[in-house]
Amino acid sequence: MLGPETAERLLNAVVGIPGIRRLMVNGPNLPKTVPYGPARGKPNPNTNRKTISVGGTDVELRVQVGMVTLEVADESVIESIKSVCDEIFTQFPYQVQVGQYMKTQATLVDYAKYGPDADETIIGLTDPRRNDTPVFIQGQGMHR
Amino acid sequence: MAYTPQYGPGTSVVAENRRNQMNPDYKLEKVRDITDEDIVMVLGHRAPGSAYPTAHPPLAEQQEPDCPMRKLVKPTDGAKAGDRVRYVQFADSMFNAPSQPYQRTYAEMYRFRAIDPGTLSGRQIVECRERDLEVYAKLLVETEMFDPALVSLRGATVHGHSLRLSENGMQFDALQRCVLSDDGVVKYVKDQIGVPLDREVAVGKPMDDEWLKAHSTIFHSLVGTAFRDDNEYVEYVQRIHSLRTKYGFMPKEE
Repeated sequence: MLGPETAERLLNAVVGIPGIRRLMVNGPNLPKTVPYGPARGKPNPNTNRKTISVGGTDVELRVQVGMVTLEVADESVIESIKSVCDEIFTQFPYQVQVGQYMKTQATLVDYAKYGPDADETIIGLTDPRRNDTPVFIQGQGMHR
Repeated sequence: MAYTPQYGPGTSVVAENRRNQMNPDYKLEKVRDITDEDIVMVLGHRAPGSAYPTAHPPLAEQQEPDCPMRKLVKPTDGAKAGDRVRYVQFADSMFNAPSQPYQRTYAEMYRFRAIDPGTLSGRQIVECRERDLEVYAKLLVETEMFDPALVSLRGATVHGHSLRLSENGMQFDALQRCVLSDDGVVKYVKDQIGVPLDREVAVGKPMDDEWLKAHSTIFHSLVGTAFRDDNEYVEYVQRIHSLRTKYGFMPKEE
């Protein structure tokens, strides 16, 4: 799993590739307060929970990055993602899997949040337990 | 003929390590030095140097009933003093960590007295009297049963611990109780339940891959010793599996 600095480097390299529509960062949660036990509710200082800058936009990391899901325009983009990963993952291995890992239809949570006729580009990214919206990155070279 | 326990099957180094940890006659290799005060701090049950809080008066001050069992079983120091029952919990990585939950319980049951272990898939907790606990925890942390990066003391919030490692080789910890400092030494900055400590507690440098592979108690076909390479172990597990499956149909070994 990646530290915030490596995650920032990876995401910045990846968002520079044209042809990426949506991007989701997954990993184990880094809670702001201790969730269980006698110290429950006390603050949880953690150097891995940081605000990083991706494509000029600030993104608050709430997880330790373990997996990045990307929606790409066509297959050729996957090759450029692989070459970017080859440059970044020199100390330890990585894996690229091709398949459909994102929702294409609005989920129940999307419906509750955006109603009918939700924008196709933001469905399937909703966390039902949070109120904040996905981050929009409009850096240079982005396909929008 | 006197019975000599065999502890476990297997010819591989993993099987040998398992037997060594379980065998109370085997002296576990001491790898690092941790002071008593540091152990007390990381456990977080009492302030270092303070008196042990008690759950009942010392046994010497109590009128004990006339009971043959009590004459037979000598109380441990903690029980004698009437200490509270407290715990230590370990979360172990699946990547060649030097001990694993089931293995810990086996080893502790053979080696320690007056304990109540609880075994789960990724963590193992052991409860006993506070005074005894500190002695046991010290042994578990100082010897070859501990690795600063792949084993950690976690009283609560152990989730996400075992299956993936961080890029610096540390186990993921949502509460970041221990950090790998720039000089390569792992330091505990919080006690086992996640309360920040007054000062850092150093537990030494993470062991290298070669040492881990030679001291691990887990089979791992990718990073360590593969289970299928230990024929004796496979045969034993298959036999147990077969007998358990046939149990109730009066199994007969051929």
